[in-house]
Amino acid sequence: MNNSLKSSVPTDREVILGILNNSEDTLNKLYKGYFAMVLQFILNNNGDEDDAKDVYQEAIIILYNKIKEGNFELSSKLKTYIYSVCRRIWLKKLTQNSRKAGNITDYEDVLAVEEDVEHHEEKDLQFVKMQHALEHLGEPCKTIIQDFYIHNLSMQDICEKFGYTNTDNAKTQKYKCLQRLKKIFFQP
Amino acid sequence: MPATLKENIFSTIIIEMRNDLELDAIIEDYLLGKLTPQETEAFEQLRSNDATVDHKVVSHKVFLHKMEQYAEQLHLREQMDKIHAEIDVEEMAATLKPHPSKVVQLWRKHKSAIAVAASFIVLSLVSIYSIQHNSQQAEKVVLLSNQLTNAIKTQNTLIRDIRKTANTSAPSKNANQGRYGGTGFAISTNGYILTNLHVINGADSLYVQNSKGESFKVKAVYTDSQYDMAILKISDKNFSNLSSLPYTIKRNSSSIGENVYTLGYPKDDAVLGEGYVSSKNGFVGDTTQYQVAISVNPGNSGGPLLDNNGNLVGVISGKPDQTEGAAFAIKSKYILEAMRAIPQDSLGKKLVSNRKSLLSGLKRTKQIEKLQDYVFMIKVY
Repeated sequence: MNNSLKSSVPTDREVILGILNNSEDTLNKLYKGYFAMVLQFILNNNGDEDDAKDVYQEAIIILYNKIKEGNFELSSKLKTYIYSVCRRIWLKKLTQNSRKAGNITDYEDVLAVEEDVEHHEEKDLQFVKMQHALEHLGEPCKTIIQDFYIHNLSMQDICEKFGYTNTDNAKTQKYKCLQRLKKIFFQP
Repeated sequence: MPATLKENIFSTIIIEMRNDLELDAIIEDYLLGKLTPQETEAFEQLRSNDATVDHKVVSHKVFLHKMEQYAEQLHLREQMDKIHAEIDVEEMAATLKPHPSKVVQLWRKHKSAIAVAASFIVLSLVSIYSIQHNSQQAEKVVLLSNQLTNAIKTQNTLIRDIRKTANTSAPSKNANQGRYGGTGFAISTNGYILTNLHVINGADSLYVQNSKGESFKVKAVYTDSQYDMAILKISDKNFSNLSSLPYTIKRNSSSIGENVYTLGYPKDDAVLGEGYVSSKNGFVGDTTQYQVAISVNPGNSGGPLLDNNGNLVGVISGKPDQTEGAAFAIKSKYILEAMRAIPQDSLGKKLVSNRKSLLSGLKRTKQIEKLQDYVFMIKVY
């Protein structure tokens, strides 16, 4: 199983190009390619499957953002980068939860990725803040905002979905919602 | 406050709000590039004139970007969750997770360390085994010397029985009544004889018998349990001094492969054994001994081991019970040491004084002829 997965791992260049082109296939291959490695690391260092999933997805997001921001230099293997990021994140989590982090069992080489992880943490804070703001927006605002800004529905679609008499009404409603969202979001 | 004014203020607030909303809509359209070129120009004009509007544009832009990032990340997470659902995590985890057994877990964690430790253990086990094995052999050697003595005893008993039936009426002093025995050889002309300590240990009385069948009473004058050596002195008035010793003591150690031979008394007649030095060390790497490929039997203990030139190489002292045709011999160096324990003047014509062995260059048969007068059977009662 391991081998078949590994054989389908795209080359590092392919991954970077695929990410830049928002290729879903690349993500699929990338994700499946290195999950086993991270799962092994987490399972053998006081974590479970869910921890592995969380940590791994964080790492992929970090990789994505870094590539998208255009400052990813392929100075090492992608595999090593992902492993190092996962390791860093997991170590932090272990110490946060004051779980034993003393004797980490390593399976790969490790890079210094502290900066990337910290950079991501700041970004993630924004993500959580937005998530939080949306949660507090209440219906129907939350769904309207999500449909428009996240799921990219047109105002026409939204108008029909929520039964507004015309798109202007829907638009007004959307802007009201957006204003409230901003207010919540920018709240200190 | 009049009601109309109140309504007025309220309506302006509503208008402002509406304007606000409209402004937001325009800003968003502007940012998304949905305005017509004229509208864009007009709006940019407004923006440069009104700091509040400009601020709103900037803040909306920031917010939209954040929303975009949020959407992107959310999308990515959704995608990954979808992919994740395709992976059989449980099966994968089963092969990767720490084994429920602590032992396997330890094994996986410290594979290399364990490998090193294991090889070390194996190595030490092997060496311990071989040491034990050797010491077992060593024990067997001691046992053998007992066996040896037992064998001699039975042989002797047998001989005695034969003698008894043959000439019971002649109770000569040659009558062999030894309980057991071994071999010894002269280290001086005046009756000093060297043999193994284990041959004479626990003896009540000691006799030596030469190749002519004459027996002489001897007493032990020196014993060395460390090297298993004993020096006996013939104290019999019938004993006449030997002519000069045909062999010399080899001072340096012998090489592996050197041909050697021994003359001994595993039975009542002298028996020649020939072979070669097969190892520089004896049991358990005992550096005081050689291992010799020579077939010896109980009774050979204490016999001289000579090389082809008639140099005394060692003293046969035992044999490993598990190796056929091998024996151990105490190195000649220790014969010299034992001899030093005897007052030098009492040795008379010393063994070592013979520079050149009289046996040198002779055929083996001649060598034996000369040698046999100096090799004695030790009889222990």
